[in-house]
Amino acid sequence: MRFMIIKLLTFLMLLSATVYADDAAPVEAPQKASTHKEETYKTQPFSDMIGGFLTSTGINALVNPNPNEMNAHGEAMSDFHKGWGRVIMILITFLLFYLAIVKGFEPLLLLPIGFGGLLANIPVANMAGPDGFLGIIYHMGLANQLFPILIFMGVGAMTDFGPLLSNPKTAFLGGAAQFGIFGTLVGAVALAEYTPFFDFTLQQASAISIIGGADGPTSIFIATQLAPELLGAIAVASYSYMAMVPIIQPPIMKALTTDAERRIRMSTMRHVSRLEKLVFPIMVLVLAILVLPDSTPLIGAFMFGNFLKESGVVDRLSDTMQNALINIVTIFLGLAVGSKLASDQFLVADTLAILALGIVAFSAGTAAGVIMAKIMNLFPGSKVNPLIGSAGVSAVPMAARVSNKVGMEYDRTNMLLMHAMGPNVAGVIGSAVAAGVLISIFK
Amino acid sequence: METNLVFEGVKFMGIGMGAVFLFLAVLIFFMGVMSKTVHKFFPEVKPNLGSSSKSVQSNNQEQEQKVVAAITAAIKHHRES
Repeated sequence: MRFMIIKLLTFLMLLSATVYADDAAPVEAPQKASTHKEETYKTQPFSDMIGGFLTSTGINALVNPNPNEMNAHGEAMSDFHKGWGRVIMILITFLLFYLAIVKGFEPLLLLPIGFGGLLANIPVANMAGPDGFLGIIYHMGLANQLFPILIFMGVGAMTDFGPLLSNPKTAFLGGAAQFGIFGTLVGAVALAEYTPFFDFTLQQASAISIIGGADGPTSIFIATQLAPELLGAIAVASYSYMAMVPIIQPPIMKALTTDAERRIRMSTMRHVSRLEKLVFPIMVLVLAILVLPDSTPLIGAFMFGNFLKESGVVDRLSDTMQNALINIVTIFLGLAVGSKLASDQFLVADTLAILALGIVAFSAGTAAGVIMAKIMNLFPGSKVNPLIGSAGVSAVPMAARVSNKVGMEYDRTNMLLMHAMGPNVAGVIGSAVAAGVLISIFK
Repeated sequence: METNLVFEGVKFMGIGMGAVFLFLAVLIFFMGVMSKTVHKFFPEVKPNLGSSSKSVQSNNQEQEQKVVAAITAAIKHHRES
């Protein structure tokens, strides 16, 4: 018995000894590491430390650009883009903040884009680079076109196709307004061909022209696919002009219509049954599959959102798409687009051309929609008020509201809002189709 | 020979506008067909009469209450003056 106890004790002692040995081993290692650290860290005089700190400040980085600094793509940048260019870009982002907060221009997007641009132009930190957080967000969802698709889902869940279903022929107005896209495409290549300042490829021209679709997610979707280097300018132009629809459109609408035309009253809308609304998204998707599969990423996501909404049995999912999901994606999308506002990509002559072509695209789309409505009135059948033609540029629901407002200026009792929603949602489908065509051409 | 970009752009415009209008024309056609089919074979169920007559009743009651209130107020006013 005693022998057993001694045996047990010796065993326990041995055990504890080995455990101690195990403990001791890792204790030694950090000691070694710390001595190693002490070897590399040299004490410096305080004056040197102050000097070192001063060279790492932002002021120094802006005034004396670091010759080794690269842009987000690892390419060399000019000294202007490292120094004053960044200051100018930061001031431009302040202008975006002003437009968003004081003027109310699409604040939901311009604020994240503006702040993303502000962060992307900070020297030294390199947040838009592949390892910075803006760069990570960009590669996570914008470089692969995920975010615009998710936004489209949410927009689909918010869209009501009832007005379009009750008056299907107004869909042509949404088609005509896509002339803004293709007319601008010709304009952009003409600029490239006949002026020495700009040199757009067909891909770049197509990416710029899609601004005329007045549809932010579609513009971003196409720009990331065809001309990622122009993404920042295209997105900023697209969203700022969308916000300026109430300023851009009315003069064009008034110039192209007569007083009598503006007072045309449209017949009241018929009731659309729930089943029609439920079948519609599937029908559009089937048509897209048959006619233009390249447009199905956009149309598919759009109709998915709409189908969930109209099904009426998954309110939780449709509610998430309309609110939580689209809000989260909007934050990421804005920051990712903002990361493309780095001075070396935005402060180029091309940006000016994009801003100019963008407004041409919007105006051409508006005019084409109004003219199409006038053409439709030449045919027998119920008359169309040409003012709703301008709503064919997507910009839901802003463009429809503008139609309604201009109509009320001439006849206070003439409510055009619901009539204008038809071409408005048809414009979204139309620009998705146009985007599909452009993608299929460049495949 | 260098390709003329503008001519290329015009070709894009033809294809693009053509595709958009073709798509929308087919869509309009099928929208009409679909609406007719739905209305013919699956007419929307009218809201049932039970609930509607109930709402009419409650409306009537409301109206009566309002009338009673108005008369009471008028009598009160008359007595006070």
